[in-house]
Amino acid sequence: MTEKNIKIVSFLCNWCSYGAADLAGVSRMEYPADIRVIRIPCSGRMSPKFILSAFREGADAVWVSG
Amino acid sequence: MESKKTGSVVVIGGGISGMLSALDLANSGFYVYLVEKGPSIGGVMAQLDKTFPTNDCAM
Amino acid sequence: MLTLSEVQNITGEKGNFQVEILKKPRYVREDRCIACGACTEKCPGKFEDGYNADLKTRTAIYVEYPQAVPLKYAINPAACLKLTKDKCGTCQEVCPADAIDYTMTEETVTIDAGSIILAPGFKPFDPSRFDNYQYSKFANVVTSMEFERMLSATGPTMGHVTTFPKVPANPKKKKDKLLAEKRKDPKKIAWFQCVGSRDVNKCDNPYCSSVCCMYAVKEAIIAKEHAGDGLDCSIFFMDMRTPGKEFEKYYQNAKDKHGINFIRSRVHSVVEDAETGDLHIQYADEMGQIIRETYDLIVLSVGLEISCETRAFAEKFNIDLTESGFAKTGSFEPVATSRDGIYVSGVFNNPKDIPESVLDASAAASAAGDALAEVRNTLTKEIPAVPETNVIGDRPSIGVFICDCGSNIAGVVDCPHVTEYAATLPYVTVAEETTYACSQDAQDKMVEIIKEKGLNRIVVAACTPKTHEPLFQETLKSAGLNKYLFEMTNIRNHNSWVHKNNPDIATEKAKDLVRMAVAKAGLAQPLKEEKIQVNASVMVVGGGLAGLTAARSLASQGYETHIIEKKDTLGGEALKLWKTAQGEDVQEHLSALIKEVQANDKIVVHTNTTLEGVDGFVGNFTSTLNTDGKTTELEHGLAVLATGAKALETTEYSLGQDERIIRTLDLDRLFRENDPKLDQVQSAVFIQCVGSREPERPYCSRVCCTHSVENATALKDKNPDMDVFILYRDIRTYGERELLYKKAREKGVIFIRYEVTDKPKVTVEKDFVAVTVKDHVLNQPVTIEADLVTLATALVPRKDERLANFFKVPLNDEGFFVEKHAKLGPAEFATDGVFVAGSGHYPKPVNEAITQGRAAASRALTLLAKKDSLFTSGTIASVDVQKCSACGVCVSICPYNAPSFMTEGRFEGKADINPVLCKGCGLCVASCRSGAIHLRGFDTNQIFSQIFALGETG
Repeated sequence: MTEKNIKIVSFLCNWCSYGAADLAGVSRMEYPADIRVIRIPCSGRMSPKFILSAFREGADAVWVSG
Repeated sequence: MESKKTGSVVVIGGGISGMLSALDLANSGFYVYLVEKGPSIGGVMAQLDKTFPTNDCAM
Repeated sequence: MLTLSEVQNITGEKGNFQVEILKKPRYVREDRCIACGACTEKCPGKFEDGYNADLKTRTAIYVEYPQAVPLKYAINPAACLKLTKDKCGTCQEVCPADAIDYTMTEETVTIDAGSIILAPGFKPFDPSRFDNYQYSKFANVVTSMEFERMLSATGPTMGHVTTFPKVPANPKKKKDKLLAEKRKDPKKIAWFQCVGSRDVNKCDNPYCSSVCCMYAVKEAIIAKEHAGDGLDCSIFFMDMRTPGKEFEKYYQNAKDKHGINFIRSRVHSVVEDAETGDLHIQYADEMGQIIRETYDLIVLSVGLEISCETRAFAEKFNIDLTESGFAKTGSFEPVATSRDGIYVSGVFNNPKDIPESVLDASAAASAAGDALAEVRNTLTKEIPAVPETNVIGDRPSIGVFICDCGSNIAGVVDCPHVTEYAATLPYVTVAEETTYACSQDAQDKMVEIIKEKGLNRIVVAACTPKTHEPLFQETLKSAGLNKYLFEMTNIRNHNSWVHKNNPDIATEKAKDLVRMAVAKAGLAQPLKEEKIQVNASVMVVGGGLAGLTAARSLASQGYETHIIEKKDTLGGEALKLWKTAQGEDVQEHLSALIKEVQANDKIVVHTNTTLEGVDGFVGNFTSTLNTDGKTTELEHGLAVLATGAKALETTEYSLGQDERIIRTLDLDRLFRENDPKLDQVQSAVFIQCVGSREPERPYCSRVCCTHSVENATALKDKNPDMDVFILYRDIRTYGERELLYKKAREKGVIFIRYEVTDKPKVTVEKDFVAVTVKDHVLNQPVTIEADLVTLATALVPRKDERLANFFKVPLNDEGFFVEKHAKLGPAEFATDGVFVAGSGHYPKPVNEAITQGRAAASRALTLLAKKDSLFTSGTIASVDVQKCSACGVCVSICPYNAPSFMTEGRFEGKADINPVLCKGCGLCVASCRSGAIHLRGFDTNQIFSQIFALGETG
């Protein structure tokens, strides 16, 4: 049960990856529940500060997708 | 003079083509009645899984 | 919207119809049903599930599918025990909303309407009547519609392709149980094309259904994606018909990349192995060899057919039909039926795929609207806007609504617990759980709570904001809140659906997501949407058929339209055509259209004019025109690009070396001028695919097959003794054009197929032109001594990169314009306010160019009609000028050219962002080194708040 505390913060682009995550749901795929999604308008919105701060808040991994 | 026209349109059939006709007309200032014989609109396209050639989801 | 309704009678005439509609009872009150599904759980009545192609049964009280609109249950009176035998009544007992009403009866309403559009669609062909394929007897012979449902994740087999696709009607029955046990994953699947199409022997459908080749290829690709490379997929066909945009590449990829077998043969019959249920077939290959094979599953690619009901309907209301039951329309008014004021759209107007149906839809809307231009806006109702409450400076008071989505969320996530938890979060005033947050009554309740508790921020934890955010934002508006004081978090698609086996973890995740959303919502600010001024005039680039049609429709609805044509005459390539596929004289109709356009005082025609530059954005374009060296400026709100295509210039097959070798358009000219040369011809050869479907131009030019078949027939008509040959790769006479192909063969036109790897050879001799081709039947080279060789040269786009850059619209590899959406946006660009029509989008014949011209006009009209109520998005970037260092990074980085330096005033030199152009991507925000740019709705502090909220463990 050590995995329970893993936290992956993911920044997903509203137009592609966020929609893809929706689709994963619609297709009833299953994946580990460690991901917390933050919706951003575009991966261009990403600032290094967000990534650093996510790590500071205890994230084990940060995933930016767009 | 001819009699005054009615500013509404009846669209018969709630498939993809009927729905979009209705939307275009409603958005350009006409009152639209969309008549569908089934309990919900969507037509055959809603039954399709993916569409060619982009393999997009049909829903 | 009237569902479960059928038209009983139509009286009156164009402008003033009375339509009598029979509304059948739903037995469920739409105003009360919350689509919770409690009724269906207990319902004992069963009938076949048409949505799943009858592969499953469903209960007598049902919704067609989970995304149905309206999402309201209905009772099938034929299957309901209460309504048939007056037993049961369970649904009424269990319905929490008291929505069931068995006493509902049919009612008839009469509606006044100015125009009528018929879009009744088609029904898939029923192959039960074919004894050779034994569809109704063999469990593993299925239709393409059934296969489509099997591929669907929401279908009866959840996307798993199996043999014996029928879900056992009764699992207790021995036979059904046996079937279910025998179910296995197929290793070999075959598709049989043209079942119920191009066939007059076994059924009466001589036409081509236009869509089956493509959907079979698609089904084979997706099946392989699901099952892996081990699956063997074969498609048995007569001609592969992939004449649409990007279709040819899809077909080639299916062959080369996906390893799908394409076999040119019509399989005669199927025999079932009684033991295993496997299917044995035999067929003759192209060499005439008989081959025996065994498949696990055979998919019949069934055609599209017009139902008897639709035919009877048309007959009753005097709508002329073609022999095959499609509505009769002319090439120059392709959406008008024989009855004035009644229009047609979709497959009822000839077999077609989705984008063409979408074009038809818009075209029919434009035709219906043209007829009623003067009474626009007389019957529409404005929804009164609720005045907005000012919340700036108020302490956040957040309302959280947790949606169960029936059992979709609540079945996994402990929603009551999440709701309790949400109530403990900072600034949360109310936390409520709802069964379906999107239902009308839940929305009404939300408004009530907002008002009662004085909430000023709302969080909804439900499904995806991509589909539902606008709905809830409307709810906020009707409660007097700015719609941006809203945050949605996705605890269904991103949570309950994907973690269904881990309810505890999913509940924890839902709590995290709600906490993050609440933190962000607390920082939400009311945002203003800027009003967009729309200049109510349109510039149409290109004075061909599509452009002229678009201009005529726009002008007849009262909008000023400018046509820009670089030549000195209107008409474009259509000036070179002789007849349409339906045999209408092109020049006669074209000159009538040109006259109409020239006589219309709303249309300004600029001939000899080119476009030199374009500035601005939707609603406010300024274009620089060059007319014979003189430069003028034109202000317009919207633009339609209808630049067309032209016939390929080539020297292949000795074109240009001998006057007996000509192009299709040259032959049209000979016909038009009734040239005596044609009377001398004894032997004529047509060569197809000259420059099309080759590596350099990997697309099909769509129009050439029909054109050559038609001209070949005309030559035969002129002189029945003439030898006429068409050398082809696949004959692509889609839709009812197939009848022309049939007629040509009956008249004695000889069709010889060649392979692209072994093209015909043309040599010029003194007395004739020798054409040598390998005959596909004899498998021997034959030489034809021709005195007329017509080359069906490819249609090539203008590939006007400058024009594309002016409007920032994309071109594909071949130089055709790329539309907004291949299926749903075929007449518009992703750039707002710019539309596309005609062969510049993809090669198309007369009727389709006109349809797209009308469709582009219709799409433009939706913007023009709303010109006083068009707003920008609120979620856009803005500059804090105090902090801006005028470095210019935002100006250079923005893909939409939204930021620019201010040229005057106190802050001259600093950046300013045009709210109309800004798409809210945030690129400039992330790049701004001074932190001067804020992205409303996704501001830096809001994203940080989410990250920090995640850090706090719940």
